[in-house]
Amino acid sequence: MAERLITDVGGLPADEVPRQEVPQLFWEKHMIAMFNVLWSKGVFNLDEFRRAVEQMTPKEYKESSFYGRRLDGMTNLLVEKGLVDRDELAARTEQIVREGTRDHVR
Amino acid sequence: MSGEPAHGYALGDRVRIVDLGKPGHVRTPLYVRDKVGVIDHCCGSFENPENRAYGRVGRERIPLYRVRLKQRELWPDYEGAEDDSLVLEIYHHWLRPA
Repeated sequence: MAERLITDVGGLPADEVPRQEVPQLFWEKHMIAMFNVLWSKGVFNLDEFRRAVEQMTPKEYKESSFYGRRLDGMTNLLVEKGLVDRDELAARTEQIVREGTRDHVR
Repeated sequence: MSGEPAHGYALGDRVRIVDLGKPGHVRTPLYVRDKVGVIDHCCGSFENPENRAYGRVGRERIPLYRVRLKQRELWPDYEGAEDDSLVLEIYHHWLRPA
């Protein structure tokens, strides 16, 4: 029997489905737009993206969100392909967080 | 691969979804492995996502099928109607005649 992928949850016991509305944040829309540009231009394909998400640790996966997993999977692929430098990305992220965004004020 | 028909499956063929035990990105969930269903639709041929997931693109296309499985075959404690079913898409190399 092969190892169970993190995304392969069919038949496993599950907690109750949370029913509360979650507000859509601006960065999430922004990130999906970027994601769509990158795969439609062929920078990565959707199978690679799924594989990148499946490579997260179970802890990372569980603690993340739909958008968080998408962001991390996409980012990891860009680093893997040498298109983005992880240190440069960290520095830029820190700068953005420092300056505030539409979703949060410093 | 042994036991795999060379020319693919036809509508209504009984097939067993096998457990290839393949590591990495695959698109055959654990809960349907070693279960028997029926070919419901031939979707056409596509590049293998097990290759594409690692950047190996432009390789041969393989047939993809919709396989219909009875819910009672999948879940021993299923309490719905006898003919309730699940249809999911499975690539050719995960199927054997049943």
